[in-house]
Amino acid sequence: MPKQYRLLYDENLCIGCQACSVACRVENSVPDNFFRLQVHVQTKGVFPNLGMSYERLSCMMCENPPCVSVCPTHASFQSKDGLVHIDEKTCITCKYCILACPYHARFVNPLKNVVEKCTFCYDTRVSKELLPACVSTCPTEALSFGDMRQKGSLVEQKSQKEVLVFPKAHLGTKPKVAFIPSRKGVKV
Amino acid sequence: MSPMWGSVEQYSTIHWSWAIAIYLFLAGLSSGSIIVALLVKWNRHERSNSSIWDAMIKAGAVVAPTAIFLGLFLLVIDLGRPFSFYWLLVRYNITSVMSLGVLFLLIYTPIVVVFMLLVFERNVIKHPILAPLEGLINLVKSFHSYAKIIEYFLFVAALCVGSYTGFLLSALYAIPLWNSPLLPVLFLTSSLSSGVAVNILIGLLFFKSTINTESIKYLLVLDTRVILTELPLLALFFIGMFYAGGDAPQAARMALTEGFWAGIFWLGVIGVGLGLPLLTVIVALRSHVYRVGYIIINSMVVILGVLMLRYYIIYAGQIYLG
Repeated sequence: MPKQYRLLYDENLCIGCQACSVACRVENSVPDNFFRLQVHVQTKGVFPNLGMSYERLSCMMCENPPCVSVCPTHASFQSKDGLVHIDEKTCITCKYCILACPYHARFVNPLKNVVEKCTFCYDTRVSKELLPACVSTCPTEALSFGDMRQKGSLVEQKSQKEVLVFPKAHLGTKPKVAFIPSRKGVKV
Repeated sequence: MSPMWGSVEQYSTIHWSWAIAIYLFLAGLSSGSIIVALLVKWNRHERSNSSIWDAMIKAGAVVAPTAIFLGLFLLVIDLGRPFSFYWLLVRYNITSVMSLGVLFLLIYTPIVVVFMLLVFERNVIKHPILAPLEGLINLVKSFHSYAKIIEYFLFVAALCVGSYTGFLLSALYAIPLWNSPLLPVLFLTSSLSSGVAVNILIGLLFFKSTINTESIKYLLVLDTRVILTELPLLALFFIGMFYAGGDAPQAARMALTEGFWAGIFWLGVIGVGLGLPLLTVIVALRSHVYRVGYIIINSMVVILGVLMLRYYIIYAGQIYLG
Protein backbone atom coordinates (compact mmCIF):
# COMPACT_ATOMS: atom_id res chain seq x y z
CA MET A 1 0.00 0.00 0.00
CA PRO A 2 1.48 3.37 -1.01
CA LYS A 3 2.48 5.71 1.77
CA GLN A 4 1.05 9.15 2.32
CA TYR A 5 3.97 10.99 3.84
CA ARG A 6 3.65 14.35 5.52
CA LEU A 7 6.23 16.67 7.05
CA LEU A 8 4.78 19.07 9.62
CA TYR A 9 6.61 22.23 10.58
CA ASP A 10 5.35 24.05 13.65
CA GLU A 11 6.40 27.71 13.47
CA ASN A 12 5.43 28.16 17.13
CA LEU A 13 8.10 25.72 18.26
CA CYS A 14 10.90 26.77 15.90
CA ILE A 15 13.69 28.83 17.48
CA GLY A 16 15.67 29.38 14.27
CA CYS A 17 18.70 27.42 15.47
CA GLN A 18 19.43 25.99 11.98
CA ALA A 19 20.21 22.55 13.39
CA CYS A 20 17.90 21.07 10.73
CA SER A 21 19.79 22.85 7.97
CA VAL A 22 23.17 21.67 9.29
CA ALA A 23 21.91 18.11 9.73
CA CYS A 24 20.71 18.17 6.11
CA ARG A 25 24.08 19.37 4.83
CA VAL A 26 25.90 16.64 6.71
CA GLU A 27 23.49 13.87 5.76
CA ASN A 28 23.40 14.76 2.06
CA SER A 29 26.83 16.38 1.49
CA VAL A 30 25.23 19.60 0.27
CA PRO A 31 27.92 21.98 -1.07
CA ASP A 32 28.45 25.39 0.53
CA ASN A 33 26.13 28.21 -0.53
CA PHE A 34 23.45 25.77 -1.67
CA PHE A 35 20.44 24.68 0.34
CA ARG A 36 18.17 21.68 0.25
CA LEU A 37 16.63 23.13 3.38
CA GLN A 38 16.88 26.44 5.17
CA VAL A 39 14.93 28.41 7.73
CA HIS A 40 14.77 32.13 7.00
CA VAL A 41 14.73 34.17 10.20
CA GLN A 42 13.38 37.69 10.06
CA THR A 43 12.70 40.39 12.60
CA LYS A 44 9.32 41.95 11.98
CA GLY A 45 7.40 44.86 13.41
CA VAL A 46 8.45 48.29 14.68
CA PHE A 47 10.51 48.81 17.85
CA PRO A 48 9.62 48.09 20.62
CA ASN A 49 6.96 45.77 19.24
CA LEU A 50 9.27 43.36 17.52
CA GLY A 51 8.64 39.75 16.67
CA MET A 52 10.57 36.99 14.96
CA SER A 53 9.27 35.11 11.99
CA TYR A 54 10.59 31.78 10.79
CA GLU A 55 10.04 30.47 7.30
CA ARG A 56 11.08 26.97 6.31
CA LEU A 57 12.15 26.58 2.69
CA SER A 58 12.61 23.22 1.04
CA CYS A 59 11.06 20.89 -1.50
CA MET A 60 7.33 20.62 -0.77
CA MET A 61 7.00 17.15 -2.33
CA CYS A 62 3.98 18.29 -4.33
CA GLU A 63 1.18 15.91 -5.24
CA ASN A 64 1.01 17.78 -8.58
CA PRO A 65 4.67 18.64 -9.08
CA PRO A 66 5.33 21.20 -11.84
CA CYS A 67 8.96 20.03 -11.98
CA VAL A 68 7.89 16.52 -13.02
CA SER A 69 5.50 17.56 -15.78
CA VAL A 70 8.08 19.82 -17.46
CA CYS A 71 11.05 17.43 -17.29
CA PRO A 72 11.77 16.33 -20.88
CA THR A 73 13.59 13.10 -19.96
CA HIS A 74 11.51 11.86 -16.98
CA ALA A 75 14.62 12.38 -14.82
CA SER A 76 12.39 14.26 -12.40
CA PHE A 77 9.79 11.70 -11.37
CA GLN A 78 7.25 10.77 -8.74
CA SER A 79 7.67 7.48 -6.91
CA LYS A 80 4.87 5.08 -5.96
CA ASP A 81 4.83 6.67 -2.51
CA GLY A 82 4.19 10.05 -4.12
CA LEU A 83 7.64 11.43 -3.40
CA VAL A 84 9.42 13.50 -6.05
CA HIS A 85 12.91 12.30 -6.91
CA ILE A 86 15.62 13.01 -9.48
CA ASP A 87 17.30 10.28 -11.53
CA GLU A 88 20.87 11.58 -11.76
CA LYS A 89 21.69 9.38 -14.73
CA THR A 90 19.06 10.81 -17.09
CA CYS A 91 19.18 14.40 -15.80
CA ILE A 92 20.74 16.56 -18.51
CA THR A 93 20.71 19.65 -16.27
CA CYS A 94 18.57 21.73 -18.62
CA LYS A 95 17.34 23.57 -15.51
CA TYR A 96 13.73 23.61 -16.76
CA CYS A 97 12.55 22.02 -13.48
CA ILE A 98 14.42 24.61 -11.40
CA LEU A 99 12.54 27.38 -13.19
CA ALA A 100 9.24 25.51 -12.90
CA CYS A 101 9.48 25.12 -9.11
CA PRO A 102 7.47 27.85 -7.33
CA TYR A 103 9.31 27.08 -4.07
CA HIS A 104 12.89 27.62 -5.38
CA ALA A 105 13.73 24.25 -3.88
CA ARG A 106 16.03 23.03 -6.64
CA PHE A 107 19.58 23.95 -7.53
CA VAL A 108 22.46 22.65 -9.62
CA ASN A 109 24.98 20.84 -7.45
CA PRO A 110 28.25 22.30 -8.81
CA LEU A 111 30.26 19.25 -7.80
CA LYS A 112 28.11 16.74 -9.68
CA ASN A 113 26.55 19.09 -12.23
CA VAL A 114 23.18 17.57 -11.48
CA VAL A 115 19.93 19.09 -10.22
CA GLU A 116 19.31 18.39 -6.54
CA LYS A 117 16.76 19.06 -3.83
CA CYS A 118 15.35 17.69 -0.59
CA THR A 119 14.42 14.00 -0.84
CA PHE A 120 13.03 13.62 2.70
CA CYS A 121 16.31 11.66 3.10
CA TYR A 122 14.49 8.80 1.38
CA ASP A 123 17.48 6.72 0.28
CA THR A 124 19.55 6.96 3.43
CA ARG A 125 16.88 7.14 6.15
CA VAL A 126 13.17 7.03 5.36
CA SER A 127 13.40 3.82 3.31
CA LYS A 128 15.04 2.26 6.41
CA GLU A 129 12.18 3.34 8.67
CA LEU A 130 14.25 6.23 10.09
CA LEU A 131 13.16 9.86 10.31
CA PRO A 132 14.65 12.45 7.94
CA ALA A 133 17.86 14.00 9.33
CA CYS A 134 16.23 17.40 9.97
CA VAL A 135 13.34 15.88 11.91
CA SER A 136 15.51 13.70 14.14
CA THR A 137 17.85 16.63 14.89
CA CYS A 138 15.29 19.32 15.73
CA PRO A 139 15.77 20.13 19.45
CA THR A 140 12.29 21.61 19.95
CA GLU A 141 10.33 18.98 18.05
CA ALA A 142 9.07 21.65 15.68
CA LEU A 143 9.23 19.04 12.94
CA SER A 144 7.27 15.85 12.73
CA PHE A 145 7.20 13.32 9.94
CA GLY A 146 5.27 10.22 9.13
CA ASP A 147 2.66 8.34 7.16
CA MET A 148 -0.79 9.93 7.31
CA ARG A 149 -2.38 6.51 6.73
CA GLN A 150 -1.05 5.39 10.13
CA LYS A 151 -3.86 6.42 12.46
CA GLY A 152 -2.72 7.72 15.83
CA SER A 153 0.77 8.69 14.66
CA LEU A 154 2.14 12.05 15.80
CA VAL A 155 1.77 13.62 12.36
CA GLU A 156 -1.78 12.35 11.99
CA GLN A 157 -2.78 13.55 15.46
CA LYS A 158 -1.22 16.99 15.02
CA SER A 159 -2.81 17.35 11.59
CA GLN A 160 -6.23 16.64 13.12
CA LYS A 161 -5.74 19.12 15.94
CA GLU A 162 -4.08 22.08 14.27
CA VAL A 163 -4.91 24.52 11.50
CA LEU A 164 -2.55 23.69 8.64
CA VAL A 165 -1.18 25.99 5.98
CA PHE A 166 0.10 24.70 2.66
CA PRO A 167 2.44 27.20 1.01
CA LYS A 168 1.27 28.72 -2.28
CA ALA A 169 -1.86 26.58 -2.10
CA HIS A 170 -3.46 28.70 -4.83
CA LEU A 171 -1.10 27.12 -7.36
CA GLY A 172 -2.74 23.74 -6.83
CA THR A 173 0.53 21.87 -6.30
CA LYS A 174 -0.79 20.12 -3.15
CA PRO A 175 2.37 20.07 -1.02
CA LYS A 176 3.17 17.24 1.37
CA VAL A 177 4.91 19.71 3.68
CA ALA A 178 2.41 21.44 5.96
CA PHE A 179 2.89 24.42 8.26
CA ILE A 180 1.35 25.22 11.61
CA PRO A 181 1.44 29.02 11.39
CA SER A 182 2.61 31.19 14.26
CA ARG A 183 -0.23 32.05 16.64
CA LYS A 184 1.58 35.08 18.00
CA GLY A 185 1.27 37.17 14.88
CA VAL A 186 3.43 40.21 14.32
CA LYS A 187 2.72 43.55 15.94
CA VAL A 188 3.08 46.30 13.38
CA MET B 1 13.31 44.01 6.49
CA SER B 2 16.39 42.01 5.62
CA PRO B 3 16.69 38.45 6.88
CA MET B 4 18.73 37.79 10.02
CA TRP B 5 19.54 34.34 8.78
CA GLY B 6 19.04 32.65 5.47
CA SER B 7 20.42 32.87 1.94
CA VAL B 8 18.36 34.23 -0.93
CA GLU B 9 20.86 32.96 -3.49
CA GLN B 10 18.46 30.32 -4.78
CA TYR B 11 15.86 33.02 -5.51
CA SER B 12 18.14 35.26 -7.53
CA THR B 13 20.14 32.88 -9.72
CA ILE B 14 19.77 33.32 -13.48
CA HIS B 15 19.37 29.72 -14.59
CA TRP B 16 18.69 30.40 -18.25
CA SER B 17 21.05 33.04 -19.52
CA TRP B 18 22.29 34.59 -22.78
CA ALA B 19 22.61 31.26 -24.61
CA ILE B 20 18.89 30.56 -24.18
CA ALA B 21 17.96 34.15 -25.11
CA ILE B 22 19.97 33.82 -28.32
CA TYR B 23 18.55 30.35 -28.99
CA LEU B 24 15.00 31.70 -28.69
CA PHE B 25 15.98 34.47 -31.10
CA LEU B 26 17.63 32.10 -33.60
CA ALA B 27 14.77 29.58 -33.53
CA GLY B 28 12.37 32.46 -34.21
CA LEU B 29 14.62 33.88 -36.93
CA SER B 30 14.87 30.48 -38.61
CA SER B 31 11.14 29.78 -38.60
CA GLY B 32 10.29 33.37 -39.50
CA SER B 33 12.62 33.45 -42.47
CA ILE B 34 11.38 30.15 -43.91
CA ILE B 35 7.75 31.19 -43.40
CA VAL B 36 8.45 34.45 -45.22
CA ALA B 37 10.30 32.63 -48.01
CA LEU B 38 7.32 30.28 -48.47
CA LEU B 39 4.85 33.18 -48.42
CA VAL B 40 6.85 34.91 -51.16
CA LYS B 41 7.05 31.68 -53.13
CA TRP B 42 3.30 31.08 -52.94
CA ASN B 43 1.99 34.63 -53.17
CA ARG B 44 4.45 36.43 -55.40
CA HIS B 45 5.18 33.94 -58.14
CA GLU B 46 1.87 32.64 -59.37
CA ARG B 47 1.70 35.32 -62.04
CA SER B 48 5.30 36.45 -62.20
CA ASN B 49 7.46 34.98 -64.93
CA SER B 50 10.73 35.87 -63.20
CA SER B 51 12.95 33.21 -61.68
CA ILE B 52 11.13 30.92 -59.29
CA TRP B 53 14.06 31.29 -56.91
CA ASP B 54 13.61 34.89 -55.91
CA ALA B 55 16.28 36.47 -53.68
CA MET B 56 13.86 36.34 -50.74
CA ILE B 57 13.47 32.58 -51.13
CA LYS B 58 17.23 32.12 -51.44
CA ALA B 59 17.77 34.22 -48.31
CA GLY B 60 15.27 32.09 -46.39
CA ALA B 61 16.93 28.91 -47.64
CA VAL B 62 20.30 30.12 -46.32
CA VAL B 63 19.18 31.72 -43.07
CA ALA B 64 16.72 29.08 -41.82
CA PRO B 65 19.12 26.11 -41.61
CA THR B 66 22.10 28.22 -40.47
CA ALA B 67 20.12 29.86 -37.66
CA ILE B 68 18.57 26.65 -36.41
CA PHE B 69 21.88 24.76 -36.35
CA LEU B 70 23.62 27.60 -34.51
CA GLY B 71 20.71 27.76 -32.09
CA LEU B 72 20.70 24.03 -31.44
CA PHE B 73 24.45 24.14 -30.82
CA LEU B 74 23.96 26.87 -28.20
CA LEU B 75 21.07 24.94 -26.68
CA VAL B 76 23.18 21.83 -26.20
CA ILE B 77 26.26 23.58 -24.80
CA ASP B 78 24.07 25.44 -22.31
CA LEU B 79 23.06 22.13 -20.71
CA GLY B 80 24.82 21.35 -17.45
CA ARG B 81 25.73 18.02 -19.02
CA PRO B 82 26.01 18.62 -22.78
CA PHE B 83 27.15 15.07 -23.51
CA SER B 84 23.98 13.65 -21.97
CA PHE B 85 21.77 15.52 -24.44
CA TYR B 86 20.94 12.24 -26.20
CA TRP B 87 18.48 11.47 -23.40
CA LEU B 88 16.29 14.15 -25.00
CA LEU B 89 16.11 11.97 -28.10
CA VAL B 90 15.61 8.72 -26.24
CA ARG B 91 13.04 9.59 -23.60
CA TYR B 92 10.03 11.81 -24.25
CA ASN B 93 7.60 13.39 -21.87
CA ILE B 94 4.60 14.63 -23.82
CA THR B 95 3.55 16.95 -20.99
CA SER B 96 6.88 18.76 -21.32
CA VAL B 97 7.01 21.54 -23.91
CA MET B 98 10.75 20.89 -24.18
CA SER B 99 10.07 17.34 -25.40
CA LEU B 100 7.48 18.63 -27.87
CA GLY B 101 10.05 21.16 -29.07
CA VAL B 102 12.56 18.38 -29.68
CA LEU B 103 9.94 16.56 -31.78
CA PHE B 104 9.13 19.70 -33.80
CA LEU B 105 12.83 20.35 -34.38
CA LEU B 106 13.37 16.75 -35.48
CA ILE B 107 10.75 17.25 -38.18
CA TYR B 108 11.63 20.84 -39.05
CA THR B 109 15.42 20.75 -39.32
CA PRO B 110 15.79 18.02 -42.00
CA ILE B 111 13.08 19.53 -44.21
CA VAL B 112 14.73 22.93 -43.98
CA VAL B 113 18.04 21.39 -45.07
CA VAL B 114 16.33 19.66 -48.01
CA PHE B 115 14.70 22.96 -48.95
CA MET B 116 18.13 24.62 -48.97
CA LEU B 117 19.62 21.86 -51.13
CA LEU B 118 16.81 22.24 -53.66
CA VAL B 119 17.11 26.01 -53.85
CA PHE B 120 20.87 25.82 -54.32
CA GLU B 121 20.77 22.67 -56.43
CA ARG B 122 23.03 24.11 -59.15
CA ASN B 123 25.61 25.42 -56.71
CA VAL B 124 25.67 22.12 -54.87
CA ILE B 125 26.30 20.12 -58.03
CA LYS B 126 29.10 22.51 -59.06
CA HIS B 127 31.15 21.94 -55.92
CA PRO B 128 33.07 18.64 -55.88
CA ILE B 129 33.03 18.50 -52.05
CA LEU B 130 29.25 18.58 -52.03
CA ALA B 131 28.92 16.07 -54.85
CA PRO B 132 27.80 13.21 -52.58
CA LEU B 133 24.67 15.27 -51.88
CA GLU B 134 23.66 15.00 -55.52
CA GLY B 135 22.08 11.63 -54.92
CA LEU B 136 20.03 13.08 -52.10
CA ILE B 137 18.90 15.97 -54.29
CA ASN B 138 17.87 13.60 -57.06
CA LEU B 139 15.96 11.53 -54.55
CA VAL B 140 14.15 14.61 -53.26
CA LYS B 141 13.45 15.77 -56.80
CA SER B 142 11.76 12.47 -57.56
CA PHE B 143 9.07 13.57 -55.08
CA HIS B 144 8.58 16.73 -57.14
CA SER B 145 4.85 16.13 -57.56
CA TYR B 146 4.44 16.35 -53.77
CA ALA B 147 6.39 19.62 -53.54
CA LYS B 148 3.41 21.71 -52.52
CA ILE B 149 2.40 19.26 -49.78
CA ILE B 150 5.95 19.20 -48.43
CA GLU B 151 6.00 22.99 -48.45
CA TYR B 152 2.76 23.13 -46.48
CA PHE B 153 4.24 20.61 -44.07
CA LEU B 154 7.37 22.75 -43.68
CA PHE B 155 5.19 25.80 -43.13
CA VAL B 156 3.30 24.12 -40.29
CA ALA B 157 6.54 22.78 -38.77
CA ALA B 158 8.00 26.31 -38.90
CA LEU B 159 4.90 27.67 -37.14
CA CYS B 160 5.40 25.03 -34.42
CA VAL B 161 9.09 25.88 -33.99
CA GLY B 162 8.34 29.60 -33.94
CA SER B 163 5.68 29.33 -31.27
CA TYR B 164 6.86 26.43 -29.10
CA THR B 165 9.60 28.63 -27.58
CA GLY B 166 6.80 30.83 -26.26
CA PHE B 167 4.92 27.85 -24.83
CA LEU B 168 8.21 26.62 -23.33
CA LEU B 169 8.29 29.70 -21.12
CA SER B 170 4.56 30.22 -20.64
CA ALA B 171 4.17 26.72 -19.16
CA LEU B 172 6.02 27.84 -16.02
CA TYR B 173 3.55 29.27 -13.55
CA ALA B 174 6.34 29.99 -11.06
CA ILE B 175 7.50 32.89 -13.26
CA PRO B 176 4.81 35.57 -13.69
CA LEU B 177 6.39 37.31 -16.68
CA TRP B 178 6.55 34.04 -18.62
CA ASN B 179 3.26 32.51 -17.56
CA SER B 180 1.18 34.35 -20.15
CA PRO B 181 -0.91 32.77 -22.90
CA LEU B 182 0.09 35.69 -25.11
CA LEU B 183 3.80 34.87 -25.05
CA PRO B 184 3.67 32.27 -27.87
CA VAL B 185 1.70 34.68 -30.07
CA LEU B 186 4.10 37.50 -29.25
CA PHE B 187 7.11 35.31 -30.06
CA LEU B 188 5.58 34.13 -33.32
CA THR B 189 4.76 37.64 -34.53
CA SER B 190 8.21 38.95 -33.65
CA SER B 191 9.72 35.90 -35.37
CA LEU B 192 7.85 36.83 -38.54
CA SER B 193 9.11 40.37 -38.21
CA SER B 194 12.72 39.22 -37.87
CA GLY B 195 12.19 36.78 -40.76
CA VAL B 196 11.07 39.58 -43.07
CA ALA B 197 14.01 41.74 -41.99
CA VAL B 198 16.68 39.07 -42.32
CA ASN B 199 15.44 37.90 -45.72
CA ILE B 200 15.48 41.46 -47.08
CA LEU B 201 18.91 42.06 -45.57
CA ILE B 202 20.52 38.85 -46.85
CA GLY B 203 18.70 39.17 -50.19
CA LEU B 204 19.96 42.71 -50.74
CA LEU B 205 23.51 41.91 -49.64
CA PHE B 206 24.12 38.58 -51.37
CA PHE B 207 21.46 37.84 -53.99
CA LYS B 208 21.03 41.24 -55.56
CA SER B 209 20.83 39.82 -59.08
CA THR B 210 17.60 37.99 -58.32
CA ILE B 211 15.98 40.77 -56.27
CA ASN B 212 12.37 41.34 -57.13
CA THR B 213 11.27 44.80 -55.99
CA GLU B 214 7.65 43.66 -55.98
CA SER B 215 8.34 41.04 -53.31
CA ILE B 216 10.38 43.54 -51.25
CA LYS B 217 7.40 45.89 -51.28
CA TYR B 218 5.11 43.03 -50.34
CA LEU B 219 7.37 42.16 -47.41
CA LEU B 220 7.78 45.72 -46.15
CA VAL B 221 4.01 46.12 -46.09
CA LEU B 222 3.74 42.77 -44.31
CA ASP B 223 6.34 43.87 -41.74
CA THR B 224 4.53 47.12 -41.01
CA ARG B 225 1.38 45.12 -40.31
CA VAL B 226 3.27 42.69 -38.08
CA ILE B 227 4.82 45.54 -36.07
CA LEU B 228 1.43 47.19 -35.71
CA THR B 229 0.16 43.86 -34.32
CA GLU B 230 3.10 43.50 -31.95
CA LEU B 231 2.54 46.82 -30.17
CA PRO B 232 -1.02 46.06 -28.98
CA LEU B 233 0.09 42.50 -28.18
CA LEU B 234 2.78 43.85 -25.84
CA ALA B 235 0.24 46.18 -24.27
CA LEU B 236 -2.19 43.29 -23.75
CA PHE B 237 0.64 41.16 -22.35
CA PHE B 238 1.22 43.59 -19.48
CA ILE B 239 -2.43 44.59 -19.03
CA GLY B 240 -3.21 40.89 -18.63
CA MET B 241 -0.56 40.63 -15.91
CA PHE B 242 -1.98 43.61 -14.04
CA TYR B 243 -5.36 41.90 -13.85
CA ALA B 244 -3.94 38.44 -13.04
CA GLY B 245 -3.69 37.11 -9.51
CA GLY B 246 -0.75 36.24 -7.30
CA ASP B 247 2.60 37.90 -7.94
CA ALA B 248 1.85 38.90 -11.54
CA PRO B 249 0.81 42.57 -11.01
CA GLN B 250 3.85 43.30 -8.86
CA ALA B 251 6.17 41.51 -11.31
CA ALA B 252 4.70 43.48 -14.23
CA ARG B 253 5.12 46.77 -12.39
CA MET B 254 8.77 45.99 -11.59
CA ALA B 255 9.52 44.73 -15.10
CA LEU B 256 8.24 47.99 -16.58
CA THR B 257 9.81 50.44 -14.14
CA GLU B 258 12.81 49.03 -12.31
CA GLY B 259 16.45 48.84 -13.23
CA PHE B 260 18.39 47.92 -16.34
CA TRP B 261 15.82 45.61 -17.89
CA ALA B 262 13.01 48.18 -17.77
CA GLY B 263 15.37 50.43 -19.73
CA ILE B 264 15.99 47.67 -22.27
CA PHE B 265 12.23 47.25 -22.65
CA TRP B 266 11.42 50.91 -23.28
CA LEU B 267 14.51 51.90 -25.25
CA GLY B 268 15.39 48.59 -26.90
CA VAL B 269 12.18 46.68 -27.49
CA ILE B 270 9.73 49.55 -27.89
CA GLY B 271 12.08 52.31 -29.11
CA VAL B 272 14.57 50.58 -31.37
CA GLY B 273 12.63 47.42 -32.23
CA LEU B 274 9.18 48.84 -32.92
CA GLY B 275 9.34 52.66 -32.87
CA LEU B 276 12.25 53.23 -35.25
CA PRO B 277 10.96 50.86 -37.97
CA LEU B 278 7.53 52.53 -37.82
CA LEU B 279 9.22 55.94 -38.05
CA THR B 280 11.26 54.76 -41.05
CA VAL B 281 8.13 53.55 -42.79
CA ILE B 282 6.36 56.82 -42.13
CA VAL B 283 9.27 59.16 -42.95
CA ALA B 284 11.59 57.47 -45.43
CA LEU B 285 9.69 54.68 -47.15
CA ARG B 286 6.47 56.58 -47.70
CA SER B 287 4.87 56.80 -51.14
CA HIS B 288 6.81 53.73 -52.28
CA VAL B 289 10.19 55.41 -52.51
CA TYR B 290 12.19 52.38 -51.48
CA ARG B 291 15.76 53.42 -50.90
CA VAL B 292 18.20 50.58 -50.35
CA GLY B 293 20.18 52.28 -47.55
CA TYR B 294 17.08 52.88 -45.46
CA ILE B 295 15.79 49.38 -46.05
CA ILE B 296 19.07 47.85 -44.87
CA ILE B 297 19.23 49.97 -41.72
CA ASN B 298 15.54 49.31 -41.07
CA SER B 299 16.10 45.54 -41.32
CA MET B 300 19.04 45.59 -38.92
CA VAL B 301 17.08 47.65 -36.42
CA VAL B 302 14.13 45.23 -36.54
CA ILE B 303 16.44 42.23 -35.99
CA LEU B 304 18.14 43.96 -33.05
CA GLY B 305 14.75 44.75 -31.52
CA VAL B 306 13.60 41.13 -31.76
CA LEU B 307 16.86 39.95 -30.15
CA MET B 308 16.36 42.42 -27.31
CA LEU B 309 12.78 41.25 -26.77
CA ARG B 310 14.09 37.70 -26.18
CA TYR B 311 16.83 38.95 -23.85
CA TYR B 312 14.34 41.09 -21.96
CA ILE B 313 11.81 38.30 -21.48
CA ILE B 314 14.46 35.77 -20.41
CA TYR B 315 16.25 37.98 -17.89
CA ALA B 316 13.40 40.15 -16.57
CA GLY B 317 11.30 37.00 -16.10
CA GLN B 318 13.89 35.46 -13.79
CA ILE B 319 14.68 38.71 -11.97
CA TYR B 320 11.25 40.26 -11.38
CA LEU B 321 9.32 37.54 -9.60
CA GLY B 322 6.94 39.89 -7.80
